[in-house]
Amino acid sequence: MADEHRSDPVDRRRFLKVLGVAGAGTAALAGCSTDRIEKLVPYLVQSEDEVPGIATWYASTCTECPTGCGLHVRTREGRAVKLEGNPDHPINAGTLCARGQAALQGLYNPGRIRFPMGRNAAGDIAEILPLEGVNRLADAIRSANGKVAVVSGAGRGTFDDLLGRWVTTLGGRLVRYQAFDHEPVRLANQMVFGLSEVPAHDFAKAKYILSFGADFLETWGSPIENQRGFAKSHGFDGQTMAKAVYVGPRMSLTGMNADQWIAVKPGSEASLALGLASALAGSRNVDAGSARTVLGEYTVDRVATDTGVSAEVIRKLAEELGRATPSLVVAGGVGGQHAGAIDLCAAVNILNHVLGNVGQTVHFGRGVPSSDGYGALADLIGSMDRGEIGVLIVHEANPVFTVPKSSKLADAIRKVPFKVSTSMFMDETTVLADLIVPNLHALERWDDLRPRANVRGLIQPVMQPVFSGLNTGDLLLQVARKLGGTVGAGFTAPTFEAELKTAWGDFGRSRGAADADTFWRQSLAKGGVYDDAPASPAVSVAATAAQVSGAVAPLGGDGEFVFTPYPSSMYYDGRGANRPWLLENPDPVTKITWQTWIEINPEKAREMNIREGEILRLSTPQGAIEAPVYLYPGIRPDTLAMPIGLGHTAFGDYAKGRGVNPLDLLGAEAGKGFLSYVSVKVKAEKTNGYKKLAKTEGNPRELGRHITEAMPVAHAAKGMTVEESLKADGEAEEASNTKLEVDALQGFRTAQVEQRKYGAYAEDFPQWGMSIDLAKCTGCSACVTACYAENNIPHVGEEYVLRGREMSWMRIERYYEGGENGEPFSARVIPMLCQHCDNAPCESVCPVYASYHTADGLNGQVYNRCVGTRYCSNNCPYKVRYFNWSAYAKLAFPEPLNLQLNPDVTVRARGVMEKCTFCIQRIRSAQNQARLEDRPLKDGDVVTACAQACPSGAIVFGNMKDPESRVVKAKQDRRGYHVLEEINVRPAVTYLAKVFDRAEA
Amino acid sequence: MRKLLVAGLVTAMGVGAAILTLARPSTAQQPAKTAAPQPAPKVEADSVLAPRLTVADSAGLKGPKQPVFFRHDIHAGQYKIQCQYCHYSVSRSSEPGIPSMQTCMGCHLVIGGTDSTHRAEIKKLRDAWREKRPIEWVRIHTLARHAHFPHMRHIKAMGPAACGTCHGDVQRMPQVFKVNNVNNMGFCISCHVARKVNRDCSACHY
Repeated sequence: MADEHRSDPVDRRRFLKVLGVAGAGTAALAGCSTDRIEKLVPYLVQSEDEVPGIATWYASTCTECPTGCGLHVRTREGRAVKLEGNPDHPINAGTLCARGQAALQGLYNPGRIRFPMGRNAAGDIAEILPLEGVNRLADAIRSANGKVAVVSGAGRGTFDDLLGRWVTTLGGRLVRYQAFDHEPVRLANQMVFGLSEVPAHDFAKAKYILSFGADFLETWGSPIENQRGFAKSHGFDGQTMAKAVYVGPRMSLTGMNADQWIAVKPGSEASLALGLASALAGSRNVDAGSARTVLGEYTVDRVATDTGVSAEVIRKLAEELGRATPSLVVAGGVGGQHAGAIDLCAAVNILNHVLGNVGQTVHFGRGVPSSDGYGALADLIGSMDRGEIGVLIVHEANPVFTVPKSSKLADAIRKVPFKVSTSMFMDETTVLADLIVPNLHALERWDDLRPRANVRGLIQPVMQPVFSGLNTGDLLLQVARKLGGTVGAGFTAPTFEAELKTAWGDFGRSRGAADADTFWRQSLAKGGVYDDAPASPAVSVAATAAQVSGAVAPLGGDGEFVFTPYPSSMYYDGRGANRPWLLENPDPVTKITWQTWIEINPEKAREMNIREGEILRLSTPQGAIEAPVYLYPGIRPDTLAMPIGLGHTAFGDYAKGRGVNPLDLLGAEAGKGFLSYVSVKVKAEKTNGYKKLAKTEGNPRELGRHITEAMPVAHAAKGMTVEESLKADGEAEEASNTKLEVDALQGFRTAQVEQRKYGAYAEDFPQWGMSIDLAKCTGCSACVTACYAENNIPHVGEEYVLRGREMSWMRIERYYEGGENGEPFSARVIPMLCQHCDNAPCESVCPVYASYHTADGLNGQVYNRCVGTRYCSNNCPYKVRYFNWSAYAKLAFPEPLNLQLNPDVTVRARGVMEKCTFCIQRIRSAQNQARLEDRPLKDGDVVTACAQACPSGAIVFGNMKDPESRVVKAKQDRRGYHVLEEINVRPAVTYLAKVFDRAEA
Repeated sequence: MRKLLVAGLVTAMGVGAAILTLARPSTAQQPAKTAAPQPAPKVEADSVLAPRLTVADSAGLKGPKQPVFFRHDIHAGQYKIQCQYCHYSVSRSSEPGIPSMQTCMGCHLVIGGTDSTHRAEIKKLRDAWREKRPIEWVRIHTLARHAHFPHMRHIKAMGPAACGTCHGDVQRMPQVFKVNNVNNMGFCISCHVARKVNRDCSACHY
């Protein structure tokens, strides 16, 4: 129904006023919540798919990063309101990361380009008709005479095929560009195995995981797939778990989740990998082939000298690796992308080969797409600079931002006579364009992706376009037709949709589908076609493997610190920087929002007399930037790190002018075909500036509060409880309750059971509860964005985060452990949300009964009763109640972002307290459906947004009264504990203690 | 069936009115009346023919004037078209649904009206359809945004003809007006008390 959506916030003052009027017996004409006259606007023709008030789901494919996860898009009244994973999809199996979910804020972004634009007579960029765009591009191509270049970030699929054909027909040049390509991995595979491809990795099967700077949980490879596998192997299964070790100068989120962090000297990783291979090759009956001679050089002692890692640690690592079969060693992330990156990846290939992992956990022949690498783009920059390019088309890429400024890419682009962008946003590349024909968003257009040889995902329009644009596939076809002649003859499809259907028709025929139309419909309903993965080909070590070298990579610059920029978990290569959900979702490691920071080791900071927030000026021969420092114990003292992603000079109001871009410090030499991110030593100078960091954490340490519990795998395997484990470690004295306390708890429990016999509580209501397995939780923060999306949570912006007013109903708390006095540094994470306590302290202090306990075990929060005393928040031991301080509903959802709001959830007004509801709208909706079908609720009918999104499957939600429910089974785990159990609030959320496999110190 | 509906309707209206005028919660203590048989209302109970009215009369009728003088009393009363023919999703969705223009034209492609008044109003519809312009109805019942009312559960519990409990005897309304203030929570609660169903705040407020 085209009724006015529920985004319209109820102004609190007006709400109270009208309530008063209604109470006196005067009925306002147009309803209570507003004194405006509302209109009911009917459809002309009702869509068959859509019933007002009931969500319609469409299957599609995510295009936010090259991974290609499957989507289920929830639409209401003709607009997409929530993205969830497609359970049938082999890559993400129903889950979705924070970046994928934030695609909605790309769709509804206020900074989207609203119509095609071109230069007018005065040379300014102004609105034009789409057809005019086609004409202008065709004219430009005609006069460019084949000197056409296209930079495309589109994934492999029918569009990419069409683009390739189109560029070839025009005699032009196509550069498939991704900022974080896997070029070193591909080149190393060529070197060691003679296979020019990127393999797929099976983390689920690995019994030991070793990563050389590859941040596989956040940005490297296929993060959700990796995390799903990691949770399976590294999550405790009741008996055992895979050990994970992270090697790198900075402990990333992946490093935080590993059991051991080896802070290797930057650039020396290859030596360590070769040393391990050398130590293992002797004991294993594997032919290291041509690499044999090289391995001989890497004795443990030499490696220890190269890397700064003690020989004892190396020996132990080799021994552990040798015992676990199969294991998995990965390398190739930005953190290890220095001049020696190919050698590092090649060394890891040899190590995997020696360990027998190739074919077990490392799979070639899976068709993982790779881009053309930075070398191809660097070539193009040269051509543009020499005036060899007449028309440049940039599609789904923003190279001016993602390539270091020292490449002079922007200047080279300016030299191209006619620049075209198909971007949806006015980004750094698009501002240079003479013609902008914005592509439709992936949720508005037809498309497909082939993220694997055995996976083809379809992309379908789930709603009418928000703004005027043109599917770039259609643009190519229309331009070809306009050019006519032999060019036009090769592109006969009337629309890109027809092109796509033809391609899928051929695909269907090749699989023996009887009817193309049926095949198309079935594929569309399922989201694509998913086959079993092809068998891995047998590989052998090529002769070129002998070229591998473990020499420490040289670094440019003359500064004191090695500079390691890394892709942000939230912004990736910068494309997420215009989405408030991602800006507000704290960095999983530092918990900083909305800002760029410099990570420095606390000891080094003390030495330099720097405190957190002080602004440092970093300089290299290429440039200088200034940013506040963050003291991070998880970084080597000789290294500084910065997240990539902010520092935009364009890209809409949310991104523009926010933070700085660390790439400004880097050189842009293509070297061996890839960009070296770890390539310079920077000079760090103190300035007099200070900027308070917008962190969401209180204290980085637990200070003995026992919020996150963890136990060694040996204890967990014996079925110890947290208390028993602490006792075994000799720490139980303060952690366990005294007899008096135990008696009091028992007494309370009896009293509460007694109370349940009265009133509504006596009836047969479910009791909702949750369990969260900390052995699986990685802190990736997908649940946080899922919660924002589901529950209409407003972002508050940097200024309010600084005042501690963020509204994150679900937050990930991160606590540092050790790192002082020579103890190994580690970190723990815990998702913190309303615990729905049975004995809730918030309920007893609410003077207006807005916070109360429902019969089905929820800690209810009735917004329309709440008068905003904030007593409940003061009394909440978990600090999970959030006060709505400002007119966030208006500030956070400017048009058209408000179209994303979930119509099932009230948009809270200023002045009320709000918090996690256990997704009560999903509970009520499931109950309504069960009632319509005259059946009881089954386990799994209600899945909260956080549990749905979690790639690790750490969160389980259900009815605690149903003995067969998954949540009851999970809560029976011996590792279960309640946070702050000693204050006796009886939470409904049970955490299962983290399990670690740490070398005995 | 219909008789039951009317009976239920009068009670509900009575309770609603009591709340409106007295604003006293004590109404909650008179639940038994719902089940008791009630006398039929005096509004021409035997006549199914809707009164003859012209568009000029609509100004004198209760309720807001609509862009088309659509007669619920003719459609639902005289011709006994089921509510759910047009409000198609009421038994399965929280939203009852309003008919698309196509639904209107399904009949009015053929039915042009019996007198000049009807013909004039149906012409408005046909013109709008031709111009692909939806008719913007003035909304009568708008539930406050912080309350959720699942229509389907009420239809499930009270039957497909229960609409009148809240919306009044629409079958006899030439122009729809608000009989009950659906935003008066007492109106909801009195019924929930009488029927001994969930009165938890979070049943509706979330």
